[in-house]
Amino acid sequence: MSTITVLMDTTLVVIFTWVAYKTGQILWKYTPYSYPNARIKAMEARLFNEQKLGELAESKTLNNFVMNLEDSDYKPYLGNLPSLRAETIDRALEASLADTYQLMLKILPKRTSAFFQLLLEEWDVRNISSVVKAKFKGEVARDYIHELGTLIGKVKAMAEAKTLEEILVILEGTEYEDPYQRLLLKEISLEEFETELYKKHYSKLLEYAHSRKAEEREILEEFVNLKIDKINLVTILRAKAHHLSADKIRSSLIPGGKMNRKLIETLLNVEDIEMALAELDSTEYSSILREVREKVMVDISAFERAFEKYIQQRMSELTKFYPLSIATPISYILQKEWEIRRLKAIAKLIEDGLKPEVIKKIIGEQL
Amino acid sequence: MEPIVYVALGAALAAGIAGAASSFGVGIAGAAAAGAVAEDEKNFRNALVLQGLPMTQSIYGLITLFLIALVSGILGGSFRFAETTTDNLIKAAILLGAGLTVGLTGLSAIPQGIIASAGIGATAKNPKTFTQSIIFAAMAETMAIFGLVGALILIITGVGF
Repeated sequence: MSTITVLMDTTLVVIFTWVAYKTGQILWKYTPYSYPNARIKAMEARLFNEQKLGELAESKTLNNFVMNLEDSDYKPYLGNLPSLRAETIDRALEASLADTYQLMLKILPKRTSAFFQLLLEEWDVRNISSVVKAKFKGEVARDYIHELGTLIGKVKAMAEAKTLEEILVILEGTEYEDPYQRLLLKEISLEEFETELYKKHYSKLLEYAHSRKAEEREILEEFVNLKIDKINLVTILRAKAHHLSADKIRSSLIPGGKMNRKLIETLLNVEDIEMALAELDSTEYSSILREVREKVMVDISAFERAFEKYIQQRMSELTKFYPLSIATPISYILQKEWEIRRLKAIAKLIEDGLKPEVIKKIIGEQL
Repeated sequence: MEPIVYVALGAALAAGIAGAASSFGVGIAGAAAAGAVAEDEKNFRNALVLQGLPMTQSIYGLITLFLIALVSGILGGSFRFAETTTDNLIKAAILLGAGLTVGLTGLSAIPQGIIASAGIGATAKNPKTFTQSIIFAAMAETMAIFGLVGALILIITGVGF
């Protein structure tokens, strides 16, 4: 009898320890995404389809455009525009995007919401880089600011700064102070300054992705590496179009990405853009090139847009594999950014007086 | 240990584990339902149906608890396996096994809640996927049904009324 009871007791202890551990693991992994991901899926249902964008393109006037957006998520942002211009609509749409980022920060589990904080910082990098470039070229910096990011107040102050030294005071205490100081001392060029900001930013994103576990790590690494590949490939193609040397391009590349060193070296050393595209044909990015090859030869931004669409599709695929993961919010924010970019383009084209058919064609080409 | 301990454990674990798993499952799906409804009230009906699916495991647990209590005589006032004999100990162990089977297979309520949660998200995006979402979530139910059937066989053939 004692053998039976010992066996039964031991079995019970083993089973319960294993069950408790596995249950805890499953609950920790999925429960925090339950609320945010269902909410985000419901928000995804309200994203515009091609038909709605076509209707917006037919607005003819900015007034009609804004009225057509009245039954959408953008209504609260477009309700009190100071004046009906593409620029003010731009700002309202950016405010909506900023709020979407804030919502993500609020509803996502703490262990991953910091990633969205980093994505928001990417807008700081864009803004600071644009403002500094504008200031150095003597242009109106205000026009280049996106109303997004964690340092929007400082960015606006930078745009209003009277001297380049004043910008240094504004950037004091931030991670951008050091590269800007070196720019002022002429230790680095304007292009190097921009590259340095992006290098810093992407190293932070990568570091964060590497610090995660299991599928969270897989998704974040895939996303960040694809973003790095996009920037590096666009840099290489633009440089090839301007016949820059391999050494000059190499220093502008962001460390990381999915492309191996051998492929990058080959791309850096090919003769021209056509050969670079031929090299990409044997990589996983060949599908991106298939539809835009002709366009890329005249406009490299077509490749950039196609790559962005590819990242969106990849994240959407991961959302299907991992419905309760960070892939869902990433996929949503990419779609939202894409939609806002197209809405801005439609507003600008309407303001420029283009016919609806032409606007539809331009927007359609951006797909 | 005395036979009563195994019998009581079997009944308690059947209802306890399955009930706890159901509450986790309903909780996970409920959080998703709240998220979907926060964006659009129209999602309420679909979300409610999906959220309720992981509750069934707790019912299986409760049925098993009653059966164990009934066959062992706890329900009725005269416990049948009071003496610590080998035969009584084996029968008590069978009842514990039956309870554990339902309790452990009842853990399927947790993945069912996760599937229901993903289904609520999918339905919120595209209401046409409601039926499919129910079928996917119901698949997890199969394990709990197998557990209940296994427990019934154990109780009826191993112990009997």
